[in-house]
This record gives sequence, structure tokens and C-alpha cells, in this order.
Amino acid sequence: MGLSNLLHFYRVRVRARLLQECFAALGIAAGVALLFASQIASQSLTSSAAQLSRGIVGEATLQLVARGAQGFDERLLASVRSIPGVRVAAPLVEASANVVGPRGSRSVELVGADEALSALGGTLVRHTKLAPFGGIGAIVLPAPLARAIGVTKFEAPATLQVAGRVTQAPLFEQLSAKQVGPLIDSPIVVAPLFYAQEMAGLQGRITRVLVAVTPGHEAGVRAALVALAAGRLSVAPTSYDETLFAKAAAASNQSTVLFAVISALVGFLFAFNAMLLTVPQRRRLIAELRRDGYRPRAVIEVLLFDALVLGSVATVLGLALGDELSLHLFHANPGYLSSAFAVGSSRVVSVRSALIAAAGGMLAAAVAVLSPLREILSRDPLASIQPKEGVPGLRGARRLTAGGTAALVVTLAILLAAPQLAIVGMISLTCALLALLPLALRAALAAIKRVAPAVTSAIPHVAAMELQASMARAVAVAATGAVAVFGSVSIQGAHADLQRGLEDAAHDMNAFTDLWVSPAGSFDLLMTEPFAAGAQAKLARLPGVGAVRLYRGGLLDWGPRRTWVIAPPSEAAPLVPPSQLLQGTLARATTQVRDGGWAVLSQALADEHDLHLGQQFTLPAPRPVALRLAGISTNIGWAPGAIVMNAADYARAWESPQPSAYNVLLRPGASAAGVAREVERALGPRSGLTVQSAQQHAEKQRVLTRQGLARLTQIATLILAAAVLAMAAAMGAMIWQRRPRLAKLKLEGFDPTELWAMIVLESLILLAVGCVSGALFGLLGQQLLDRALASIINYPVVRSVALPTALAVVLLVVATAAAILSIPGYVAARVPASLALQD
Amino acid sequence: MPMLELRELVKHYQLAGGEQVRAVDGVSLSVSPGEMLALYGPSGSGKTTLLLMVAALLQPTRGQVLVDGRDVSALSEREASRYRLSELGFIRQSFDLLAGASTIDNAVLKLLKTLPWREAHARVAPLLERLGLGTRLTQAAETLSMGERQRVMIARALSTEPRLLLADEPTGSLDTQRSREVLALLRELCRERQVAVVLVSHDPLAAGYADRVLALRDGQLREHQVETELAGGAP
Repeated sequence: MGLSNLLHFYRVRVRARLLQECFAALGIAAGVALLFASQIASQSLTSSAAQLSRGIVGEATLQLVARGAQGFDERLLASVRSIPGVRVAAPLVEASANVVGPRGSRSVELVGADEALSALGGTLVRHTKLAPFGGIGAIVLPAPLARAIGVTKFEAPATLQVAGRVTQAPLFEQLSAKQVGPLIDSPIVVAPLFYAQEMAGLQGRITRVLVAVTPGHEAGVRAALVALAAGRLSVAPTSYDETLFAKAAAASNQSTVLFAVISALVGFLFAFNAMLLTVPQRRRLIAELRRDGYRPRAVIEVLLFDALVLGSVATVLGLALGDELSLHLFHANPGYLSSAFAVGSSRVVSVRSALIAAAGGMLAAAVAVLSPLREILSRDPLASIQPKEGVPGLRGARRLTAGGTAALVVTLAILLAAPQLAIVGMISLTCALLALLPLALRAALAAIKRVAPAVTSAIPHVAAMELQASMARAVAVAATGAVAVFGSVSIQGAHADLQRGLEDAAHDMNAFTDLWVSPAGSFDLLMTEPFAAGAQAKLARLPGVGAVRLYRGGLLDWGPRRTWVIAPPSEAAPLVPPSQLLQGTLARATTQVRDGGWAVLSQALADEHDLHLGQQFTLPAPRPVALRLAGISTNIGWAPGAIVMNAADYARAWESPQPSAYNVLLRPGASAAGVAREVERALGPRSGLTVQSAQQHAEKQRVLTRQGLARLTQIATLILAAAVLAMAAAMGAMIWQRRPRLAKLKLEGFDPTELWAMIVLESLILLAVGCVSGALFGLLGQQLLDRALASIINYPVVRSVALPTALAVVLLVVATAAAILSIPGYVAARVPASLALQD
Repeated sequence: MPMLELRELVKHYQLAGGEQVRAVDGVSLSVSPGEMLALYGPSGSGKTTLLLMVAALLQPTRGQVLVDGRDVSALSEREASRYRLSELGFIRQSFDLLAGASTIDNAVLKLLKTLPWREAHARVAPLLERLGLGTRLTQAAETLSMGERQRVMIARALSTEPRLLLADEPTGSLDTQRSREVLALLRELCRERQVAVVLVSHDPLAAGYADRVLALRDGQLREHQVETELAGGAP
């Protein structure tokens, strides 16, 4: 059929059902928006970290990296440059820092480089000349960061706190978006190499050398670098940082992907509900076209054109909505990750995300429009309008139940035996929910029919009969609520369990000290930045101070993981976090770690290196050391994994006596706040160290964890809101379409109040069946996610059954949707009875 | 005393342009218990307006609708509902049966308002039996034939034992044979139960079964000329 004819057909038809088409478009748009926004949220962090990494390394493909914050001797650079095949070797000093201006402070990555870095062509310094201010000692800030801290004028000083040192660094230049492109939102401070070394107390040392290789020499250069590293430095591709970040962000991204899938499903059900409203018209159209001699292919063309127009309009609207959602609601929040990675909160919108969301929208439109495909292809031209409303055949129902049960069995098998397949498990659980929902609805109707005879009222009978009469639509509406509640309960339940587990871990990690004294910045969350310990004796003499101990800790890149090394002083109690130990006995593990030469590893690390209790392994620290496995723990809240050892072993392995925090223990009766003030006074304003009580630090960890997980709550809320609206809209439209039937009931003697009560009861049945089924499956989903979080990522999860959450969500959805529906119900119940005589 | 009496019934509508339409224009008639009145008329003749006023769904501009001596034209909404439930039966051309629900569940719909389910079933089952649906009581409504569905509608209308039955095109969807069966059944039940029936139809067959035939044209009643071939339709 020609395009102009298709257009003509469409124009004529759409005029007759504009409202339904708009509603359908809105449904699909909501699905596309949710899918698009959640994808942007999940990709933004990873893309932001990758952009910064690529923006620094440019054309370099290999790197020589220090294993500790102390770096390595810069004279090694000359040896690297002399390797045949090395085109460019650019030295870097990188350190976590805190930059302070009159308007506030930010945690940043300090990058010190020389002109060799420009030669690599990375976005960060492509348009920035490092030479002109080389001799001055100044810093360059991305414009948004400069504005945020209030340091925007040339030579205006910013305070840089690095490794317990404080420098007043003048601003040389603000980087604009034109200069650095997407890196504009990165938390970064660029300085000439020598100046960065000075600020970080790393004179004569560098932390990384980026190497660009002449084509064909990769293997040779790599081998030469490995020889130079001598097992004390790491040689890795420049994409290594992206790998490390991806591993650290995997849990967060996977949960967002899961949400994206659930969002898409809710959106699709929204659209499907909307499309059901136009099914009678479409069926009539199919019958008319077939009766007029159109072949099935021509009918499909007409319907696909419908889908194309509807899908396109809805997709454009959905992408625009999703873009707004990601701007204002789904903020990318680095949370905990910012304590170990330089990652901004920029929003990265990829073409891929848009294409996936658009494809989803078009698919939803096509599936919904072509739902009567069997009738289109039927030999009977009028098959599409043959009456077949009502309960699907017993065989179909049995098949659905069997399919649902099989999907449930698959989920249980994954829960018990293969939690690493949690995403698959969640999908199979969703399938089981959808397949078993008609059974639940039938069971509910049967129960009502059983109870109804005891009541002298037609209301429950009519409500049950009405629902039975439009089963397909009833199931579609109930499914929308079911999927949304399922997603919400499972994720919110798992989220709460994780939150409780992380709080337990934070409690253990703060139990061995009263005050923490550490470098300022987001990295103080993990206490991983070393500083020169010159104030220990002075602090120990302060009134109220019982003891000052040296806590050491750091980040160690081990395989694909940036692990968190926790090294409390040997006297610390508890030395090994009691609530986090999964294997080994606490007393023995504590004694072994205290005595030295032993460490506790998180489960994933032990599994990855095939280690068992008592077994020896070599820790790839700056000075590789042999340790034995004293116990196996959770990841203590750090996704890539954690290692617990004593501070003395740490100093030996890192070849540095520097602590990353002072643990200040109070004398009995001394107040934490009072002693904290004394300590601050003793340290002076230029120490670059902050003082916080153990409670304050635990609270800070709790807040940051919550921020990191907040996106999940936001998405869950949005899905619930979308589901409530979808159900209310679909049921509202259902009620409106039923006005002629309501009018007929009026003819039979039913008054408006009874009709309204019937509508409300029907709505409540649908909502309750959908939401309760969703909640029950959601509780199972919660167990699946808990198990996956605990056994795959080793998160400390306090497992529970989120019954209160489930109840609250069910009540909220049912009450809100019912409240919304009572209005169209009230209006519809006042339908003029004359409508009954107009057919 | 007539079961239904219309006295100078008038219903005027005002169109948007100010033009007045006299949908029903001074209609007076009466129907006695056990009598079946057939009312003919082309589309727009005022038949539906007349039925709505008799069913207390529309207030007349003037005149009275007396059912068993009581004027139903000024009832409150609640009273009107009660009147339609207990005193009036309404049969329509379209089959408002709920798919998925059984024959008997569809037939007891009105009774359930006042009786417990078991009693309602017990009362309607003999009626369905009488209507030839005794073997189909638990069968899903959508599996019934058109004639059977119309009989379920009749059972529902008669379930509350009304004194007045309004039938709006009850044979509109049926073939001749089924139409004859339904009309004969209606006449039989009307006499047996002493129900006054007002049957509005286009179907010429209906005249052959009615005790009296009237025509409504432009809102006014006229004597209806029954064609001979139709009159012979009745047994």
C-alpha cells in the first residue's frame, strides 16, 4: 500500500480515537523515559571515570604504576625513555587532595604533569600549556570546580590539602568546556609536575609513567617495563583504571540495569494497557479491511504504520522526559567510590542509551498494535470481531500456570545454587509473577464467589462477574501493579538489608578508636591517604588523651580489584571486625593478625586466588610480602574487596612508616568533643588534618552510603508512581468505557451509589491481587538480591524479610490508586441511563 | 385499574440553536395487567424517550406516568431505582450478559440486591427451567445461542416478579424462528403472570403477538395498520 494511502487511513482513524492514541503514546513514553533515565544514571559514573582516565592518558597504551601513595624514584623515567620503541614517556604525580576556597571545599585528584603529557594528546591537557606556569607553581581548575569553591581569578589562592600538608596554591587558569570537553565536570586539579611533587611531599618521586609505544614494539616495551618494575611496581595497560572502576561500580550498575529492565516492563505494561483501549477499534478496522478484500499483508502494513507513528511520537516524548528525569531526579552520585577513584557527577548521555530506549518504545508499539495478529492471518475475514471475550481456555491457563511454575523453580534453583545469576533469577521471577498472576486473580475471584453468597448484596457478585468477563484487561492492569510492587519491594528490601550490613561494618571499623585524625577529603572515609606523622607525641600529652596509635591503610590494586587495605594498630580491639568474619574464628584470627604475618581477606579475593584458611599468599604491595590467611570476611562495605592486617605488617609491605590516621583513645571520663577541640588546637590550622569522633565518622560513612544508594530509592519511587498512574489511568479508562454497561445496570434498578461501590470493589480486587502478588514475589526477589550481594560481591548483608516494607508499599499503591479511581468511578456511576438504550 | 397509564405525556427538548423538538407530544394510553401492547414507530419517533419516562429515567415536561396508580415521574433517584428493581422489568435487544459468568448468575443479577445468593438461585432456577434453559444453568453465558441469551434476559427481567415489563426491540438480533419463540414466550408469561407488557419494536412479527398495536410518529400516537401477513404470524 502506498505511503499516501497509509497516511490517509491513519489520519481518518486517529481522528476517531485521538484520546486513546494519546493515552497509548503517553504509556509508551513513560516506559521509554524510565528506561532512558535509568540507563543514563547507570552509565554516567562509569563513563565519567573512563573519560577522565582517557583524558589523561591520551595515546599512551602502557603504564608503570606505583603500588603505594609514596610513588617511586623519578630517575626511573630516564630508563623508561631509553627502552627501544618508547615514543613518549610522561611522568605523573597523582594524589588525592582536598581543595578549599572561600565558598567551600571539594575532594579532588591532584595531577602533576610536564609537557610530555601534552605530547600524548589527552583531552585534559591538549589545550593547556603546562610550560608557561612551570616555573611559577600554580594550579589549573575546571571552571565549575573553580566556581564551586570560589577561586576564579588569576592568581587567587586556593588551599590544597594533600597528605597532611597545606599549600596556598595560586590559580593560573580555569579550564573551559571548549578546552577539556566532557572532562569539565571532573574533580581534578592540574599542576606542573614539580609543584605537585612539592605539594604532596613527593620531591624526586612520581606515581605513574604513561608510555606511548611505536607501533610493532608493544610486546618488547612491555617486557622491558616489567623488568624495570622488578615486581615492586605494576605494569598495566592504560585502560586498567577503567577496569578497576568497572569492578568497583559493578554492583551499583547491575542494580540500575535491573531497575532499567523493571522500568521498561512497567512502561511496556502501561503502554499495553493503553493499547488495550484501542483494541476494539483496531479489531473492527481489521475486520472491515479484510471484508473489503485487503490481504493480511496489507492489514499488517496499515497496523505497522500505526505502530510507527505511535512509537515515533511516544519515543521522542519519552526521550525528552527521560532526559529531564535524569537531569532532575536520577543524579549520578559517586558516593563511596569517590574515596578511591576520581569520578565526577557529570551526566553522560550516550547514543546507545537513546537507541536502546527508542528500540524499546518502537517494539512496545509494534507488539501492542499487532496483538490481534492471529486474527489478521486467519482465513475468516471477520475473525477479529468474533466474540471471544472472557476467560482464556483451560488449556491456555494450564500452560501459563505450568510456565510460571517452571520459572519459579528456575528462580529457586538460582537462589539456592547459583546466586551469581541473580539478574537472570530476577527476570525469571518476573516471568513467573506475570504467568501466575491470572491464577492468582482467578483464585481471588473464586474466593469472592465463595464468600459472596453470605452477603445480601449484588455488589460482590457483579464485581466478580465483571472482572471475569474482562479477564485479559484485568490481568494487564493487575500485572502493572504487580511488577512495580515486585521491583520496589525486592530492591528496597535488599537495599535496607545492605544498609544495615554496612552500618554494622561501619560500627566495627570505628569501634577501636575514640577519635580519628586524618587528612581532609572524601578519602578520609576509608582512611587511605598517608601523611608524615610528626604530632603523635604532642597529641599523646594532651589532657584527656589516653593513647595515640598509628592506623595505616591504603588502596592496593590486586588483579582487577582496587582493594581496601585496613591496618589497625596491633593493640586495637577489635582488630578484626567481628560482625564481618565469615570463615575462621574471631579469637584465633585476631591473635594471628595481631602477631603479624597473617591477614583476613574478603571472600571474593580468597576465591579469586583460591586461598583457604592458613594458606600462604603473596600480597602485591610495593614490597611484596608473604602472609597467611587468618580468616575470610565480607568486603566490609567496599565492593572490590578488603584486606585486614596489622599496621606493622603494612609499614613493612609499603616500606613507609607513615600512618593514614591517628587513633586517639580517650582517658576514662574525658569528653570526645572536648578532646577533639584540644587535638585540633594542638595540630594548628595548617596541618591539613581533620579530627572527628568515631561516631561522627560512622555517621559520615552512613550518609555517604545512603547517598550512593539513594538512586535506587529514587528509581523505586518513580516506578511506583508510574505504576500507580498507569493503573489509575488504565482502570479509569476501563471504567469510562464501561459506562454503557453501568447504564444498563441502572435500568435494572441499581442506584449510583451501588454502581460506585461496585467500581471501587472491582478496583480494589485488581489492585490487591496485583500488589499482594507483587509483594510476595518481591520478598523472594529480596532474598535473591541479598544472596547475590552477600555471596558474589561479599557485601555485609543483614538478611531479613521486608514484610513491613511490602505492607507499606502495597497499602500505599492500593490506597493511592483507589483514591484516584474513586473520582472517575463516581462520575461514571452517574451515567445517564438513556445511554443503555442508545446501542 | 390499568397497570400503566400515561396521561397527556409531553417531553420537549431544546436544541443548541434554540429549536424545540417535541419528542413525545401529548401521549395518553393505558395497559392492563396481562395485556401486551406493541408500539411501532420509525427511528426518532419518540419510542426511546417514552420508555425512559416510563422507567423513571427521564422526567416528562408535562403529564403523568402512573404505574399501578402511582405517579413515577417525580420519584427521587433512590425511589426510582427501587421502582425499576422491584416493579419493572426491562428487556433489550442487546444481550447484557457477563461473559465468564454462568446462565443462572446472569439471571439472578437483580435479585441479589435483596436476596441471599442461595435464595435468589432457588427462585430463578424454575423460571429458567420454564424458559427452556434448565440444562444450561451453569453454562458460561458466552457459549449460549442468541435465542438462549435473550431468554436469559427475559428471566432476569422477570426474576423480581414485576407487574410491568418494557421490551425494547427484544427480537432485533434474532432470526424469524427465534423471534417467534421469544414473542410467544413473552405473551405466555405476560398472561400467566398478569404482567403488563409494552413492547417497542420495528419487527412486524411482534404485531401478531400483541393484544393491541399502536404507532408512534413524531411523538404522537396513531392507530397502526397491521399488515395481514404479519398478523398471521401468531399461532
